[in-house]
Amino acid sequence: MKVGGRELPPNPPSFPVTKEGRGFGGGSPPLTFCRRILLALPLAAQGPDLLRELMAALAAVRESRATFTEEREIPELDRPLTSRGVLAWRAPDRMEKHTIEPVEERFLAEGDSLVLEHPARGSREVLALDAMPEIRPVVEAIRATLAGDLATLREHHEVAFSGSRARWRMVLTPRSVRVRAAVQRIILEGEGAAILVMETQMRDGRARMAISSTR
Amino acid sequence: MRRFAALFAALAVLALAFPLLLRQVELRGDIADFLPTPKTEEAAFLLRELRSGAATTLLIAGIEGAAAPDLARISRAMAARVEASGLFALVANGAPRMEDGEAALLFAHRYALSPATTPEAFTEDSLRRSLEAVLDGLRSSAAPLVRRYGFADPTGAFLALVRGWTADAHVATEHGVWMAEGPRALLLAQSRAAGLDTGAQAAAAAAFRAAFAEASPPAGARLLLSGPGVFAAEAAAAVRADVKLVSMLSSVLVGAFLIWRYRSPLMLAVVAVPLSAGTLAALAVVDAVFGHVHGAALGFGMTMLGVVDDYPILLITGRASEETLREAARRIWPTLRLAVAAAVAGLTPMLASGFPGLAQLGLFAATGLIVAALATRYLLPALLPAEGLPVRPLPERLAHVLLRLPARRRAVIVLIAAVAAALAMAGGPRTERDLAALSPVPEAVRDLDEKLRHQVGAPDVRVALSVRAADAEGALRGAERAAEALAPLVAAGAIGGLDHPARYLPSAATQHARLAALPDAASLAARLEAVREGLPFRATAFAPFLEQVGQARSQPPLTPADLAAAPLLSARLTPLLRAEEGGWRAVLLPAEIHDMAALRATAAAVPGLLVVDIKAETEALLAEATGAALRWASVGGVLVLVLLGAGRGLAGGLRIAAALGGALLLTFAVLAALGERISVFHLTAALLLAGVGMDYALFLANTRATARPGKESAEEAARALGSVITCMVTTLLTFGLLALCRTPVLHATGLTVTVGVAAAFLLACALAPGRGAQG
Repeated sequence: MKVGGRELPPNPPSFPVTKEGRGFGGGSPPLTFCRRILLALPLAAQGPDLLRELMAALAAVRESRATFTEEREIPELDRPLTSRGVLAWRAPDRMEKHTIEPVEERFLAEGDSLVLEHPARGSREVLALDAMPEIRPVVEAIRATLAGDLATLREHHEVAFSGSRARWRMVLTPRSVRVRAAVQRIILEGEGAAILVMETQMRDGRARMAISSTR
Repeated sequence: MRRFAALFAALAVLALAFPLLLRQVELRGDIADFLPTPKTEEAAFLLRELRSGAATTLLIAGIEGAAAPDLARISRAMAARVEASGLFALVANGAPRMEDGEAALLFAHRYALSPATTPEAFTEDSLRRSLEAVLDGLRSSAAPLVRRYGFADPTGAFLALVRGWTADAHVATEHGVWMAEGPRALLLAQSRAAGLDTGAQAAAAAAFRAAFAEASPPAGARLLLSGPGVFAAEAAAAVRADVKLVSMLSSVLVGAFLIWRYRSPLMLAVVAVPLSAGTLAALAVVDAVFGHVHGAALGFGMTMLGVVDDYPILLITGRASEETLREAARRIWPTLRLAVAAAVAGLTPMLASGFPGLAQLGLFAATGLIVAALATRYLLPALLPAEGLPVRPLPERLAHVLLRLPARRRAVIVLIAAVAAALAMAGGPRTERDLAALSPVPEAVRDLDEKLRHQVGAPDVRVALSVRAADAEGALRGAERAAEALAPLVAAGAIGGLDHPARYLPSAATQHARLAALPDAASLAARLEAVREGLPFRATAFAPFLEQVGQARSQPPLTPADLAAAPLLSARLTPLLRAEEGGWRAVLLPAEIHDMAALRATAAAVPGLLVVDIKAETEALLAEATGAALRWASVGGVLVLVLLGAGRGLAGGLRIAAALGGALLLTFAVLAALGERISVFHLTAALLLAGVGMDYALFLANTRATARPGKESAEEAARALGSVITCMVTTLLTFGLLALCRTPVLHATGLTVTVGVAAAFLLACALAPGRGAQG
């Protein structure tokens, strides 16, 4: 049931850094010679170009897996809620967030469909992203980034890029006012073609997801 | 040709008058006009449902033949477009969206409305489980939903409320829309127009087809449409198409025959004059008397007016060689007048029957007959040259055989008696009691409807339960009592489920009782404090819950009058709870009835609960309607006999009545032998048959009345025979082809008239003429 005229957005998959972190996306991308050169270049303050290069590097990663630890801070709670699980990406558009503990849940975005599975409740829902304009931007924030699809990313968010190729930070601000009412911004941090942190800032409260590759 | 200028001018005037008149006349299509005034409460309920019930406005659409994501896209595009058309009160293609205003209203009244409001839900143990569930929810991807409602409603009263509404939906949601196996996307709509308004229903179906086309479906994608309204519109279209084809074919055949017989196509124009004059007058008179003309009265009435084709044929063919047309008209007038008077007498009881539809039909036919006869008597002789039209003589041998038939009168009477005995022994003709068999909707379309209905979980209402009360509160309480009594049946599987209005809006009494069961503020706060122990919630986390439970305890209950801001709730409630004259009615709909006897037994124990078996009640209504029509027809028959007796003397009248009755008897015997079940369509066709049969008998018997000696008498007999044969062939060609149609109404009419006219003719030849004609 959709309530209040809006799809209630499932929590965006959000991803934080671990100390060793080679994050989500760049597990072990087979770097070509050219790309090695590119990576070695000193990263000048050419934001747009850097962003394009980063997107190209991300696009080259066809498949990856990572574990995540997510901490949610909610004003009504006196300590953060922690959950752990596995993230999996497969180009061009399949992204799965499988929460393993404390309560198992699968969140799978593939193409236009979104599958939500809650084994403990025995529930499985197939939703259409097209039909949920309030959720799509939150999903695309990470999925379009993993796909290296700048056009889709910009369709849903204002993108502010900073840092260097080796260590970057992207601040995504949803273009839709309705989405902004729930999610003010999503911050992605990474190193090279790996996403290490995803932080979602919500109306009150925030979720921070640290990601570390399993390969 | 100049000699016929007057005829063509008259035809042109009549042709022009048609569109002008049709613009004035209001045509209606309410089938219920043809059903009797209800005598029982069950019948009244059923008639109301047939006329305006929610079930009749349902439209189900299926989209298939493409991949599920494409189907979902088309479904959404169609739903948006169809909704924007304004033709529908409700369009749904998946879980419905609730607007903020409605959500706020229901949220505020959640404890009064939700079945989850029980004292047990507020014990410490339950509260502890609720809080743990909130915590789990906050970890899941449903966290925003849980954050929004969980702290004000940790027991989940609101979510239980909205989930309860969709608990009985059988359709799975995929890609955000209803999707059945296949895959097939499903949409449901409720038209604003009544289900029996075929024009509006056709427009509703057209809106769906247009929306489908505009959603740019991929190649291979198909739209399936179903629903009572679509049926009505499709059936009307199918009947129209059949009629068009058949009438084209038969006009060619009739035209060819008349051209052969009269050596000129002019006879077609001659026949058209009384027919159009009669139809015009009938339309105008019925509209003036009733304020509108019923579509079915027009259709059946036109069938019955088929008789008047005979009048100009009898005039032109019956003219003796030395007579002018005017003289011939004057000579046959007494016979024609008697035929028409008898036919009108036969129709009079229909006028007094009390069914608006039947009365219209009677008035239509009677007016048409009278005016057509007058046109034949006075108008045609004025329009045509004195010598009329040339007539080709009949083949000698045929005339000879037929003219000798009266000699075999005894054998014919024995034959009729034998047939009557056989028919009586076989238990009489079987009557059609199943409404579905009368439906002009093809069986394949009905199968599709059943499949779609099942997939979408729409009620295929076979049994409805109903409670009446002085006010809405009473009706809701009645529904609650009935639902409580029937609950064991649901649990035992005797019925699959029960939908009732109190599911959506409980009675004020129930709402009060639920609110009274809520704990007071102090004890709730104490329990919550105890339960929070060991959980990460801050002390203030559930402040909204404490505050709102307190508010709810002093809130007035929600009533039907408060629902303007709750369109989703209203859409569910309206078909099940409604005001009617002098009170309110609640409707309860059991689903998947496995044990009808148990349902009846349990329902009988609930005072005031009405059980309406829709199929059985409809059949009873139909049987009553048919029975009443037959009773009125037999009264008409007696009137006809009286009139014939007055016009032709007792013996003559009886002879004509015997020819007529024998023809009807033979017809029904043949229909029974062919395995036909007699329906209202056969009976209407039999009225036409009675009309033409009487004409044949009267005109053949006329020979006797005006008998002149010797050769002249034989000549006149041959001429009368020639006219009647022409009449019969024309009627056969007009209606015979209808027997080949599959639409029940057309098939029944065609077959009855074909068999009957042949029988009527032969019997008229054999029985009607006086002995003087034999010689």
